[in-house]
Amino acid sequence: MSRRRFFVYWVGFAVIVALLAVAPLVLPEFWRRFLTEILIWGLLAMSSDILIGYTGMVSFGHSAFFGLGMYGAAAALLGSSPPNLWLALLYGLASAAAVAAFVAYFSTRLRDIYFAITTLIFSQIFYVVIFTSTAWTGGENGLNFSRPRFAIPYLFSLRFTPAVLHWFVLAIVALSYLLLRRITHSPFGMVLQSIRENEARTRAIGYAVERYKIVAVMLSGVFAGLAGVLYALQNQFAAPDFVFFVVSGEVVIYNVVGGIGTLVGPVVGAAFFLLLREAFSRFFTEFYLIPLGVIFIAIVIFMPRGLLGFARRWLNG
Amino acid sequence: MAVDAPRAASPGEAAPGHAAEPLLRTRGLTIRFGGLTALNNVDFSVAREEIRAVIGPNGAGKSTFFNCLTGVLRPTSGAILFGGADITGLPPDKISQRGIARSYQITNILPNATTLENVRIAAQSRRHSWSLLSHYRAYRDIIEKSEAALDSVGLLPKAYELAANLSHGEQRTLEIAIALATEPLLLCLDEPTAGMSAAETQQTMMLVRSIAKHLTILIVEHDMQVVMELAQRVTVFHYGAVLAEGSPAEIQQNKSVMDVYLKA
Repeated sequence: MSRRRFFVYWVGFAVIVALLAVAPLVLPEFWRRFLTEILIWGLLAMSSDILIGYTGMVSFGHSAFFGLGMYGAAAALLGSSPPNLWLALLYGLASAAAVAAFVAYFSTRLRDIYFAITTLIFSQIFYVVIFTSTAWTGGENGLNFSRPRFAIPYLFSLRFTPAVLHWFVLAIVALSYLLLRRITHSPFGMVLQSIRENEARTRAIGYAVERYKIVAVMLSGVFAGLAGVLYALQNQFAAPDFVFFVVSGEVVIYNVVGGIGTLVGPVVGAAFFLLLREAFSRFFTEFYLIPLGVIFIAIVIFMPRGLLGFARRWLNG
Repeated sequence: MAVDAPRAASPGEAAPGHAAEPLLRTRGLTIRFGGLTALNNVDFSVAREEIRAVIGPNGAGKSTFFNCLTGVLRPTSGAILFGGADITGLPPDKISQRGIARSYQITNILPNATTLENVRIAAQSRRHSWSLLSHYRAYRDIIEKSEAALDSVGLLPKAYELAANLSHGEQRTLEIAIALATEPLLLCLDEPTAGMSAAETQQTMMLVRSIAKHLTILIVEHDMQVVMELAQRVTVFHYGAVLAEGSPAEIQQNKSVMDVYLKA
């Protein structure tokens, strides 16, 4: 990256983070909440970009990782008294990682559509398990819990007001983005992109492709689980609807709309999609999916690289 | 590593009575696809630092033989020994790690990456590939090694061009640079001059000759001129079996080889 681009990049990053940080001070409560959720869905979409955009594996099972993060956090918050934030993060990430390891072990033996279908089937299995294990998960009703305090022992203890929660989510999403960006530029990340470009060749030059894919799925699953923990903190419930495959489908749509292989694109896609859905559901009530579908088709046809890819080409003239 | 040790001793200096161990040897290598026997009981060996050509009519089993050696296909029976170790049935990545590299008959590169990245990712397969938190450009050793590989094939000026934008001949040469970047002991070239102009073919022959100083080369080729000029020995495949083997001059005189080629 040239010095100028480097500078523009970091200034742009700082400005966007600053705007997002100021937002809860000026936005009404409804939109503050909406923005926090966009960030969380954005993180989920970003995590799946590691697979879709960088490794060339389309996962239709991200709802499972997201949901397990959510239920893991729920278990920690209900099981500890007073509820502990760090325990929620630990449980959520550990459950998502365990499920991701399980799914990765089996699904990475398959490629393309077979991989996608396998991830979808696994996520549905987890959905059914969660839905039917009423004693543990509350079944259809899900679980309700109270928010922990944002505390580090002996240092500080803050109540999670809406603004504090927003800043917490923003910090985690921004750090996750920086970490994922670094990983995509690491030697490991370059191997993933080589697998996407030419899997047979990558194997022939000495890479045990399956192992890289397993790590990629786990990495992606852990960040999806992180999004699940944040969602649980924000809404104070865990529900089986979030493990359902429709959520996975929406994540793929965020990626395609925003532009795969960019990390930022999926966040833009999530923001665009959620805002449009909000606006359309006000104007078109229950028919809102029709205009949304038309716009989605138009984007796929006219902006095959997504909103971000289109904007980049337009900016570069 | 075990495979490096014997390399230090030059084959000519082997003590009398200790016939130099061939780098690669196959014993009774057979592969069947249903009723078709693509390779039939192939016994084959290549000495260290030899240039060996494998020729034969279309469908003789040359590419199948390469695919067996590099782990793409698993032989039905028989064994492949490399540097004395049994590598039969290992997957392609393990075989690459042992020191067998190949270039492909059909250009097989990463088209959307730069020329340098194509080579760098191959060089990186030997070390640092599990690093997640450092930038890939931080590993200067890998980049220098890749630049050296590109320089040795004359592609360094095109290092930052997209591989897809290289000419056909340059892409074929890039194939060789990618293989070299994995620091092989044995390099298998599958028709390296296919589709090249006469001038490019000449350049490639010079290139093969210059890299042959350091490693063993197995080359599948249709261009008889290339075979006769490059190879020290020639093995002729026919219907999946070895029909003849000898120096280029011997092969040119061989009655059964002439029959096969005249019929073809």
